[in-house]
Amino acid sequence: MDLNPFEADNSVSCQLTSEIPEVCRTEDCCLGIDEAGRGPVLGPMVYGICFCPVSRKEDLKDLKVADSKTLTEAERENLFQKLDEAKSYVGWALQILSPNTISTSMLQRTKYNLNALSHDTAIGLVQYALDSGVQLKEVYVDTVGPAEKYEEKLSKRFPGIEVTVRPKADSLFPVVSAASICAKVARDRVVKGWNFAEDLGEVDSDYGSGYPNDPKTKAWLLKYLDPVFGYPQFVRFSWSTAQTLMDSKAVTVHWDDDEEDGEKAAQRQNNRSMLSYFGASAGGNEQNLTHQTHRFFTDRRLKSLDTL
Amino acid sequence: MATKKKRAPNVENDSWVVVAADSVIDSQKHHSDPAFVRLRNPSTDAASLYMLGSGDVQLYEVKAFEEDFHSWFIGQTVQRDGRLIFVTPMDPLYLILPYLIKSGKEGKFQPVDQVVMDEEFPACSRLLSCTRSLASLHHIAEEKEAGSLKFHRYSQERTMNWLKKKVERTIVALKKRNISVGEGVKSTTYIRVKSEADNHEEDYLRYAHGLISEYISDDLSKALLSHLGLPELTSPKETEPPSKKRKLSDKPVEAEEDYTKFNSADFARKPPKKMTAAQKTLAKVDKTGMKPMSSFFSPKVKAEKK
Repeated sequence: MDLNPFEADNSVSCQLTSEIPEVCRTEDCCLGIDEAGRGPVLGPMVYGICFCPVSRKEDLKDLKVADSKTLTEAERENLFQKLDEAKSYVGWALQILSPNTISTSMLQRTKYNLNALSHDTAIGLVQYALDSGVQLKEVYVDTVGPAEKYEEKLSKRFPGIEVTVRPKADSLFPVVSAASICAKVARDRVVKGWNFAEDLGEVDSDYGSGYPNDPKTKAWLLKYLDPVFGYPQFVRFSWSTAQTLMDSKAVTVHWDDDEEDGEKAAQRQNNRSMLSYFGASAGGNEQNLTHQTHRFFTDRRLKSLDTL
Repeated sequence: MATKKKRAPNVENDSWVVVAADSVIDSQKHHSDPAFVRLRNPSTDAASLYMLGSGDVQLYEVKAFEEDFHSWFIGQTVQRDGRLIFVTPMDPLYLILPYLIKSGKEGKFQPVDQVVMDEEFPACSRLLSCTRSLASLHHIAEEKEAGSLKFHRYSQERTMNWLKKKVERTIVALKKRNISVGEGVKSTTYIRVKSEADNHEEDYLRYAHGLISEYISDDLSKALLSHLGLPELTSPKETEPPSKKRKLSDKPVEAEEDYTKFNSADFARKPPKKMTAAQKTLAKVDKTGMKPMSSFFSPKVKAEKK
């Protein structure tokens, strides 16, 4: 697995793929989708697909691929090696969603949540397989959000393919287990050798599992909090763990889509009190008395100063 | 959970981001630095900030571009104040004018250095050092010479002609800069687009008059309006539509809608719930395709066997 394309720029999303086995272009194939790194506050989320001819499903079982969570790191590396050796009939593809992609998606003006991001990434990978000429007939997915809705969404998007969305699909279908191993191995490698884009000097790489409840991760987050910038791009800013720490320890930053309410906000936004529309004469006089700046200046947000 | 952000009070800055004409920092000739001074704003009669160039030779007005939610990154520092200050040349006559008008009410010719005096703004006498001040006083005042001394008296007629020229020059500048002057919907987020129908001379005249009025008193602004031959705009109060008149008809009056249903017992008016800050932040999160909280508590559907 060559991670160079991602490590060249780890601020964006990146696709890594194996070669497409020739049999997959001619025979009916099944495909499994799984992800790794959904929960951690650190590092990327990796989506993986694995596909092979329906007729070779049993061969995958013989490789003893199993749910990646039940395996040790060494066992996973070992299994990935075996999958790579089986390239005559097994293909895979990965989408690495950088923590920066996750942060900017979830925190942008029109919010784009992790479920939607996951769904779209999965769809993108299935489309990649189709575009590469893989004869897809069956797709197996571990659920993200309500299973029925996800199944319906995928079935509509890919008519003619039998989509199965199941919780714990990674322990039910070997092809999903294989996908989960690819994803998990890629995530482990990326997190271990993370290239910090920021100039942080010698970075303490002892950040633990990256999950919010890991004490090591928490300590690391406290140590690397910059009062102005917050965190390096390695951290998912949209996670409440990171947000809470920034709220309490970093400088407050105001954005124009922050909501404020109450009289002060109304005053700041120059809203007139509802009452002013009723006292007709009073409202009129008031406007004449105060000097109104010409619209040339108000349009351009220019005002006179009385002090610096 | 995200707490409500509090605005800390603005702390004093010791630096500003300023855009200024080259002439402002040209202190070679006079060996003194330009200085910010507080002077009486002729339009508001209150204090405003101006700048006097090196040697008090040129007057500049100071305007700030100020919008919410802006900050500067300057070198390796952050400046909270996101203002952009403009220092632009200004005709000192505008600031001298109110003092002349005031003394003009006595009807006497006086030396200007006795007229341009202000206890509140002692710096105003420095306005007379500007190269353009004394040389252009004849635009707004009558002059008399006695020996080596010059005396001045405010002239409304001269001032009106001077202001009219200012308006005409402003119109030329507005046209050259392609600035939209037509009446449009007033909105802070819309950018006015210049349209074909925009080219009415009266619109330009009114717009330029409005701009010049930013530099003169209200009374002068009104006088200038009639000098330009523009009628005063009617106040919006008069243009309001007359209150609705009841239609007269012989038929018995009948309600168009049945409002009695609101009085029945089973119609409970729900008061709009006020959300807490935490609920509001939650409401902003994109929840499409997520499971509702309740689904985690309902009895589990048995997972299908292989």
